[in-house]
Amino acid sequence: MQAVRLAMSFVIGLIVYVVVLGVLDARLPWPKPRGDKVRS
Amino acid sequence: MIAGHFGFAALVKSREPRVPLWSLMLACQWMDVVFVPLFALGIERIVPVEGGGPPMGYGDGIIHADYTHSLLGALIIAAAYGLVAGWRWGRRNGAVLAAVVFSHWVLDLLVHRADMPILPGNAGNLPRLGLGLWRVPAAAAAVELTLVVWGTYLYWRAATKVVRDAGEPSTSRASRLAILMLVSGLVTLGLNLAGM
Repeated sequence: MQAVRLAMSFVIGLIVYVVVLGVLDARLPWPKPRGDKVRS
Repeated sequence: MIAGHFGFAALVKSREPRVPLWSLMLACQWMDVVFVPLFALGIERIVPVEGGGPPMGYGDGIIHADYTHSLLGALIIAAAYGLVAGWRWGRRNGAVLAAVVFSHWVLDLLVHRADMPILPGNAGNLPRLGLGLWRVPAAAAAVELTLVVWGTYLYWRAATKVVRDAGEPSTSRASRLAILMLVSGLVTLGLNLAGM
C-alpha cells in the first residue's frame, strides 16, 4: 500500500516538474534547440 | 532519491540552455517512469530492509528494479531517450538528454544499498552495485538538499541572465519560477523523508 502511495507521489511530482515548471520555463526567452523548426 | 534528480536537471539546464527544461526534468526521472508500470505489474518491486517497516522510512527500501536500474538496462533506456530527443532537437541535445537519463543511475548508485544489478534481470548473477548512503539518511538527505538548492541557484542565475539579455525590464518572472522550483524540491524531499 505504501509502495502504491510512493508511486502516486512520484507521478504527481513528475507532473508538477515536467508540466508546470516546463510550461513556465518555456515562456522564458531561452535560445531554441538546434534542429528545432523556426516559425516564420 | 527523487528531489536530487530534479535538482541535477535544473543544474544541467543552466549549462545547456537550448535543451527544454521539461525534457530535462522528464529525462532525470525517465528510469523511474519506466519502473512504475513494471512495478504495477509486479515485475519490479520495493521491499523494506530488515527492521525497516512497514511503513518504510526514507531510504529503507531494497529496490528490486532488475531491468530498469541495471547498468545495461539504464544505458539502453538512456540511449533510447537520447535517440528520440536527438531526432527532434539535434545530436548534441540528444546526447545531453541521454546523459541526464543515465545520471539517474549514477546518483542512485550513491544512495542505493547493493541492489542494482549490472545486467538486466541480474543475468549471470554478477555482484549487485550500490554504495548505500541511505544507511545514513541524514547524509543522503544532505546530498539531495545540496542538489536541489545548488541546481535551483544555478538555474535562477541562468534564467535571470537570459531574461535580462532579452531586454526585459524585470527578471521577476524568472525569480518566481526559481522560487517555485525550490519549493517543489523542498516539498518533494520533505514528503520523501516522511516516507510518502
